[in-house]
Amino acid sequence: MPKLGDLPRGAVGGASTIIVVLLLIISGNSSALVNGLVFGSFYGLVALGLVLIYKSSGVFNFAQGEFGTVAVYTLWILLERGVPYLLAILAGIVAAIAFGLLTERLVIRPLFDAPRVILLVATAGVALLAIGLEFWIGGALLRQVRPISGELGRISPFGVNVSDQQLILIAALLILGGILAYFFNRTNLGLAIIGASQEPTATELVGISVKRLSSFTWVLAALLGAVAGILSVPIGGSFGPGYLTVGSSGALIPGFTAAVLGGMTSMPGAFVGGAIVGVAESFALRQSALAFIPGPDKVMIFLILLLVLALRPQGLLGKSA
Amino acid sequence: MSVLETRSCSIRFGGVQAATEISIAVGEWEIVGIIGPNGAGKTTTFNIITGFYTPNEGRVYFKGHDITELSVHERSALGMGRTFQNVGMVKGSTVMENLKTAQHLRAEYATIAGMLGIPRTMRTEAELAERSELVLDLLDLRRLANEQVAGLPYGELKRVELAVALATDPDILLLDEPTSGMGPEESEELGDTLLELRKRFGLSIAMIEHHVPMVVRVCDYVYCLSFGQLLAEGPPDYVRNHPEVITAYLGADSEAS
Amino acid sequence: MIKRAVSDATEEISVSQVVDPIPQEGHQAPSDDFRPGAKGWLARAAAGVPLAALVLLFPLTQLDFVLTKYTRGITYAIIALSLNVLIGYTGQISLGHQAFVGIGAFTSAYMVSVAGQEFPIAVLSAMAVGAVQALILGLVALRVRGLYFALLTLAYGLLAEASLFKIPALTGGAAGQPAPKPPGFDTSHRYYYLCLALLGVVLWVDHRMMATKGGRALLALRENPRVASTFGINVKAFTLFAFAVSGVFAGLGGALYAHNESQVTSVLFNFQLALLFILMTVVGGLRSRTGVVIGGVFFALIGYLIEEIPHLPVIGTVLKFLVGILGWLFVDTLGLPELRIEVAELVIGPILLLLTLTQFPGGIGQQLRPFIQWFAGRPFDIHDRGAKEVQITDVRA
Repeated sequence: MPKLGDLPRGAVGGASTIIVVLLLIISGNSSALVNGLVFGSFYGLVALGLVLIYKSSGVFNFAQGEFGTVAVYTLWILLERGVPYLLAILAGIVAAIAFGLLTERLVIRPLFDAPRVILLVATAGVALLAIGLEFWIGGALLRQVRPISGELGRISPFGVNVSDQQLILIAALLILGGILAYFFNRTNLGLAIIGASQEPTATELVGISVKRLSSFTWVLAALLGAVAGILSVPIGGSFGPGYLTVGSSGALIPGFTAAVLGGMTSMPGAFVGGAIVGVAESFALRQSALAFIPGPDKVMIFLILLLVLALRPQGLLGKSA
Repeated sequence: MSVLETRSCSIRFGGVQAATEISIAVGEWEIVGIIGPNGAGKTTTFNIITGFYTPNEGRVYFKGHDITELSVHERSALGMGRTFQNVGMVKGSTVMENLKTAQHLRAEYATIAGMLGIPRTMRTEAELAERSELVLDLLDLRRLANEQVAGLPYGELKRVELAVALATDPDILLLDEPTSGMGPEESEELGDTLLELRKRFGLSIAMIEHHVPMVVRVCDYVYCLSFGQLLAEGPPDYVRNHPEVITAYLGADSEAS
Repeated sequence: MIKRAVSDATEEISVSQVVDPIPQEGHQAPSDDFRPGAKGWLARAAAGVPLAALVLLFPLTQLDFVLTKYTRGITYAIIALSLNVLIGYTGQISLGHQAFVGIGAFTSAYMVSVAGQEFPIAVLSAMAVGAVQALILGLVALRVRGLYFALLTLAYGLLAEASLFKIPALTGGAAGQPAPKPPGFDTSHRYYYLCLALLGVVLWVDHRMMATKGGRALLALRENPRVASTFGINVKAFTLFAFAVSGVFAGLGGALYAHNESQVTSVLFNFQLALLFILMTVVGGLRSRTGVVIGGVFFALIGYLIEEIPHLPVIGTVLKFLVGILGWLFVDTLGLPELRIEVAELVIGPILLLLTLTQFPGGIGQQLRPFIQWFAGRPFDIHDRGAKEVQITDVRA
C-alpha cells in the first residue's frame, strides 16, 4: 500500500478535487459549496501570492495579506473623496505595489542570506507596521466599501444566489491564474524568475539581474494581494486595520493552508487548495452537529494543516522534497 | 577481530544506487584508508557506518555488536567519533565550548540537576574543563581555547575538529578528508599526529582521503570505491598500483604520484 | 582514552602552564584568566548600586496603577525568557506563544477561583500545563521542520484564540476569570517583589542551564543537529526538553500576569500578542538574558513611557519640541490624523523589530554586551559585539 506522500501529483490533485465536489453535492449542502467556492477564490488569490514569493525566494511573506489591506484603505480614502471607482481601484493597486517594492528593497534584500525564518519574522514585522499605520490613518472603526456592481442573483447555481461582486472575484482568480501560468511557463521573464530562485549565481552570469527579478516578483505578489483585497471587501461587508491578516476576515491563515495543501511550489495547487479550504470551512460552519465546538471553521483549517503536514507535506500538487 | 565492519551494505536514494554491497573492516589499532574519485560513495559509507543512513541491505557491526538499528547518538555513545567534510562543529560557540559539548556523555549528571545548580554538577563541569584543556594540549591548540570556531582559519579548523572528535573519547575515529585544504607540510604533520594518537590511545582510524602520499605512508589497509562499489582493497601499495584504480582516477584530479 | 592522556601528558601539561600563551598578531584572544582586582570589583559594585536601587526601590515611590505596569513588565520579561529558550537557544520559532501564556494564565486563574486552590498550587499547575502543551507541540516539531513548523505554531495560536479560549468553563466567558492575588502578597507592592523574586529564579535556572550540558546541547542542535548527534546528544529528547522548559517558564509568566491583572479575559491572548512577544525577544536580543529582560520590560511599558517622557526635565522638552515639528509636518501639512499614543506603540514596535533584524541583529543585548561583560568580571571592551552570527545552514530554518 503506497504511502500517501508517494503518490504522483496529478492523480492526487485530480482525485481529491473530484471527491470533495461529489461529497458536497451528495450531502445536499449546496450553499456550503457555492459560498465555499467564493471564499475559496479569495483564499486562492492570497495563496497564489504566497506561493509566488515562496517559489522564487523561499520566503514566507507574512505581509501578503497587508498588501491587500493597503490597497483597500487607499480605495476607501479615494472613494470617500469622490474618485471614480475604477480609478480608485487602480490607485489601490499602485499603492500596494509601492508597498511591496519598499518591503523588498528595505527589508528583504538586506536579509537575502538570512535563515528563512528570520525573513518570516521580518515580514511579520512589515505586516504589523502596516496594521499600525492603518490604525493611524483610519482609526479602529470598521469601514465599508460599496461593491462594483450591486446586482445579486444574476446566476444561481443549486438555488444559491451569487452576487456580481462574487462573480468578479472568481473571474479575477481564473484570469490572473491563467496569465501567471502562461507567464511562468512560456515567457522568458517568467522562466528567468524560476531559474533565479534555483541558481542565482548562474542567472547573474547570463546577464540577468537577480535583484530586478526579485523586485518584479514582489510587484506581482503585491498585485495579487491588492486584487484579493479590493474585490473581496465589498463581499465581506466591512473592514478594519489588518483586514486580510487577522480577525474573522483574515485570509492569511486559510490562504497559507491552501498554499500548503496545494503545494507551496505549485501555482495550480493554490487554486485547488483554495477551493478545498474554502469549501471545507464553509461546510464546518454550517454543521449543526459541530455547534458545540467554538470556532469550528478555525478548527477545520487547523486540522487540514495538520493532516497535510503529517501525511503529505509537499501538498497535493507540490514536488516532494 | 575487527572493531568496525560493514557487511554488504547497499543503499538507494530515489533511483540512484549510491552504494552496492560495501564490505569494509577496520581492525583493532588499524588505520584504514578509503579512497576513490568524487561521488564514489565514500561519505555515504561513513554515513551508513555512523547511522545517518540506514542501508537497504547489509549490516554494520561495531565491537562485535550489530548496530544497524541504532541511532547516531547511540553509536557515538558506543565509541564512534567522526569528522565531516564541511567541518562539523558548533561554529557559533568557542573551541572550549565545543570540547565540553563533545563530552556530553561524560557529564554524569542529570540535565535538571545542572539547571538547579546542584554543587556536584559544578564540580563535574570543572572536570570537563580540565579534560578539554588536556585535549587542546595534545594537539597544541591551547591558545585557541576561547576563540569562536567560526573565525578560525581553515587549517586550524580541521585540527580543532580533530580535537573535538577526540574529546568524545572514541574507540574509532572516522575522519572525512582530514587533510583537505592543507599543504604538504601540514598533511605530513597530521599524518604524524594520527600515528601518534593511534599509538598512545590504541585508537582505530578510518580515513577518507584524496591525498595519496598520506594514504601510502599512514594507512595499513586501503579500500578503493568507485560508483558506489568496492573496486579494490589491500595494502596501500597494492591498491595504488592496481590497474582498475588507476583507470577510475584517470580524468579526476588525483595526486597519485 | 582521556584517562591515559592524563598520565601520559601530565609532564607536558605542567611545562606548558609555566609559559604564557603568546597572543596572535593583531588579536588578543579573550583570555579566561583575567580577574578584576579589588578596585575592579568595587567599581562594578558602585555601578551596580544605582541599578539595584532603580529596580528595588524606585517602584516603591509609584502609585498602584503604575506599579501594576511595572509588574506586567516583569511578567513579560519571564515570558520573553521562555520564548528565548525556543527561538534563541533551540532555533525553533513559535508564532503561537500567546497560547502557551494564555493557558498558563487561565489555568492559574481557574485553580484559584473555581477549584479553590492555593496560589502556589495554582502557579505550579500553570507551569505543568504549560509544559504539557509545549511538549505536544514539541512532538510535532520533531516531524515538521523550520518554516512549516513556525506556521503550524501560528495556526495553533489562532486556534487557541478562536476555540480553546472560548470555552466558558475555562475562561469564564466574556467577563473573564477572576485571578486574585495571593494572601500575603495582595498589595501591588508586595506582588511586585514576588514577581521580581521569581524573575530572579528564572534567570538563575536559565543561567545554570546554559552553563551545563543541557544548554550546550541546545545550542549544538540549533546550529547543527547532525554534528550534535555525533557528540552523543539525543536530538529528539533535547528538542522536547527545550519545549518543556519554555512551556514551564511561559506558564509561570502567564500565571503571574493573570494575578497581576486580577482578571483574565480571552481577548487578551490574540495574535497581536504573539507578535509582541516575538518583538520583545528579538529586539531584546536573542540569547542575551539581559537584553531579553529589558525587551520584555520595555515593550510592556512602551505606552506608559511615551506618556511620561514629555514630563521629564530636559529630555522631555527636547522630545516635545521634536514631536511638535513632526506633528506640524504630518498633521497640519499633510492632513494626516493625529498620532495617538496607542497608535504610536503599534508603529514604533514593528519599526524597532525591522531595524533590529536588518541592522542590529543582536538587538539590545548585543549593544549592551560590553557593559554586561564588564559586570560579569571581564575587561571592558567597547568593541565586543559577541559571537559572530553564524549562518545556520541546517534544514531547520
